[in-house]
Amino acid sequence: MRPLDDELRSALKRKEPPAGFAGRVMARLAGQPGRVRQGSWAQAIRSLFRMPKLRWVAVGAVVCLLLVVGAVRYQRRERAQGEMAKEQLKQALHIASSKLNLAKKRVQEVDRRSPES
Amino acid sequence: MRISLRRTTMLMGFLILVWGGVPAYGQDAHLQLNNLEKLSKKAAEVVDVQLDGSMLKMASKFLSEDEDADAAEVKELVKDLKGVYVKSFEFDKEGEYSEDDLDSVRAQLKGPGWSRMVSVVSKREHENTEVYMMAMGSGASIQGLAIIAAEPKELTVVNILGPIDLDKLSALEGHMGVPKLGLDKGGTPRKPGGGQNEKK
Repeated sequence: MRPLDDELRSALKRKEPPAGFAGRVMARLAGQPGRVRQGSWAQAIRSLFRMPKLRWVAVGAVVCLLLVVGAVRYQRRERAQGEMAKEQLKQALHIASSKLNLAKKRVQEVDRRSPES
Repeated sequence: MRISLRRTTMLMGFLILVWGGVPAYGQDAHLQLNNLEKLSKKAAEVVDVQLDGSMLKMASKFLSEDEDADAAEVKELVKDLKGVYVKSFEFDKEGEYSEDDLDSVRAQLKGPGWSRMVSVVSKREHENTEVYMMAMGSGASIQGLAIIAAEPKELTVVNILGPIDLDKLSALEGHMGVPKLGLDKGGTPRKPGGGQNEKK
């Protein structure tokens, strides 16, 4: 056999990994996500928002919340205005009614006093 | 040329006839009461109500939520109204306003469409009460109502736009949780022929 063949056979021969090699690789792989989990909540949330779909969902939720708050405030203002208008209307009609009756009363008094023609 | 001029003249005459023959249509029953604002400074109490069509609708909507019969009466009364305007001033002493203050209001009530239905003047009691109405077309329905009540320490001007039922309005006093004012002043009968009361 040629010495070159022997060298190649020796170089390409399967070698068993050293003891604990697989464990060390697995530990290193497990350690990388562990770094994120061990980080702050802000980093976790920030990483979530890096995803574009979630960002739009959050924006939509904020807009909906603002619309709901605005609608509630508008309804409360409408109610307050409506109640005030109702009370003003009652007062106005009461005044109009009393003055109309005053005129009627005065006419009746004059009718009573003046002789029949 | 002659024919077209004649036709134009006839058309113009027809239009004037149509527009002139509809006196109350389009007349605005809304009185301008801004001139009375100056009395607010002298008045001890002021009632200023300005409810246009939209505010009346809103008030009417909230009247529906009241479950009493009076609210239903009021709602029925105002359902076709286009505005309710009231200016009422109560003074601590007499002489705080003059007839001149009412000139601008009376001038508007002399305009086309308005008719004075009642005018009661009592020089003894220094009171003057006038009721005006604006009728639509042949007078079948009321388009507007104005009441001027001038008393020694109180001045009230009421302006209601739209068809108002006077009987129902008159019947409202004493309802809505407000007692009747009691228009009888004293129990002693007046001497016949005394005073200077005139009625029209």
